[in-house]
Amino acid sequence: MTEARRMTATRGPAVTFHFEGQPVTGYCGETLATALLAAQVSAFGLTREGTPRLPFCNMGTCFDCVVTVDGQRLVRACLTEARDGLCVTRHEAT
Amino acid sequence: MMDLAVIGAGPAGMAAAIAVADAGFSVLVVDEQARAGGQIFRRPSQEWGQRHGNYRPYSWAKDLIERFEDHPGITTAFRSTAFGVLRDPDDHAPLRLALHTPEGGRLVAARRLLIATGAHDMPVAFPGWTLPGVMTAGAVQSLLKSQKLLMGRRLVLAGSHPILLILAEQLLEARADIAEIALARGLPNFAEMIGAVPALPGHVTLFADAFRAMGKIIARGIPVTRRTIIDGVEGTTEVTGVRLAEVDEGWMRTGKPRHVAADLLVLGYGFNPSTELARQAGCRMQWASDLGGWVVAHDQTFQTSVEGIFVAGEPTGIAGAERSWAEGQMAGLGIAASLGVAADPTQRRRAGCILARAGRFSRVIQTMFEPKREALARLSGAEDVIVCRCELIRSGALDAALRKNPFLSTASAVKLECRTGMGPCQGRYCEGTVAARLATTRGATIPESGFFNANFPVKPVPLQSLCDLERSQEEHIPANTPATYPAASR
Repeated sequence: MTEARRMTATRGPAVTFHFEGQPVTGYCGETLATALLAAQVSAFGLTREGTPRLPFCNMGTCFDCVVTVDGQRLVRACLTEARDGLCVTRHEAT
Repeated sequence: MMDLAVIGAGPAGMAAAIAVADAGFSVLVVDEQARAGGQIFRRPSQEWGQRHGNYRPYSWAKDLIERFEDHPGITTAFRSTAFGVLRDPDDHAPLRLALHTPEGGRLVAARRLLIATGAHDMPVAFPGWTLPGVMTAGAVQSLLKSQKLLMGRRLVLAGSHPILLILAEQLLEARADIAEIALARGLPNFAEMIGAVPALPGHVTLFADAFRAMGKIIARGIPVTRRTIIDGVEGTTEVTGVRLAEVDEGWMRTGKPRHVAADLLVLGYGFNPSTELARQAGCRMQWASDLGGWVVAHDQTFQTSVEGIFVAGEPTGIAGAERSWAEGQMAGLGIAASLGVAADPTQRRRAGCILARAGRFSRVIQTMFEPKREALARLSGAEDVIVCRCELIRSGALDAALRKNPFLSTASAVKLECRTGMGPCQGRYCEGTVAARLATTRGATIPESGFFNANFPVKPVPLQSLCDLERSQEEHIPANTPATYPAASR
């Protein structure tokens, strides 16, 4: 797994959301991409061949970080802030 | 109705917005990020307690951001995607910009538009480039700078752009373990350094930073290899290793690839201007390989071929933050003039000076670091290499389509034939590879392949946002009224 680690810094208060049914803790001011990477998630989504994807560009242009958030598909995790109570699932391409 | 809608809150967008708002016009600035600054000045969230980030070496950045954020005449729409320009070429109705905002779809009418959409890392397709563990330099840098997140246990940096050295220094400061920095070209030679001298005034810090970075990298004993290119990555579900190969001056492989153990490969081969909105709006494009490929054509006032639509910053050619800032100022003065308020000559002259100086500098950098596009496209040659990451179109399928249709001669036609560029990214990450492969196959040049057409919506948005546009159109926003606040002091 591609390791990701939070550096020492002042962050916002902790927030908890769910990814694939599991609770994930992040911090206010983090993006979903950051919180999921820091949680060592191995796939934000699966291609239609079943291969995993993680963020590639982190600037909203590649769409490799897309996830489903509260039922809304194709939401870019790198542009979405981590908030309490979000229900996030992997993007599964069809 | 707004007098001006700006797409992109980077150096160009901010500078133009200030100039036009200073002249007393209403300005809306749209950006996908949560804060102003663009990719170059990405900073942590406001919630983390600091207004500013580290903008080195750009001494003007802090003042620019403050003037922008504090300006009473500028309205902002952050976390919002501009996904299309609606216009009727036959009448003089205002331009309309379609937005996907956190509150849903919104149609904004504006008398002028400024496209200041910046750039993104230039993608390079090679075996395994879609695996988790391959990231662009911009991704790794923005996670580090604005999210304080360090990616990777053991890193390989591969590319040709000086950003790799600056990034390497930042990574070392964060105690990253860098296995190797592989540069496709040699370091600038003596003649090139002499050639760069005229560009130096005003940019000493930039050069100094790159040299300082290099010094630190060498002092830490990090191997920096030259004439070395990425050949592929190893791993089935994630990167476990990187293959690097020696290349000649034309970046063509000369030796057998060697293996380096790593879990993160960082790519920095340069940048592409982000021009899909300009393309969709019908702005004329032109090819300039040393400026990043397809760029938006414009006149001296930075107006594009479409009346009322202006452009500034990287979409006119990759030239760096300083040049973008200067172009933003000039475009802002041009827009204000087109709306009826001429710039005072001193202001115009000053912006012109910065523009000329920044231009000299960036030309030197660009010529030094222009990517060898045909050679990079060859890295995707093997049959099973994915060319289009979204639609999973492989090299073999692309070749088959070209063989089967000997008269296919444009990248857009290839897109229609085999779906390269039809996925969510809308071709941003395969256009370069497709165009170069097509050109090589047909014995033509890359510009002859043309560019992917961009259609409305230029980015995928929920259907609801499209439906919202209808309703939003009925909202009546009063047309421009004279300035109700004093112009900011200059």
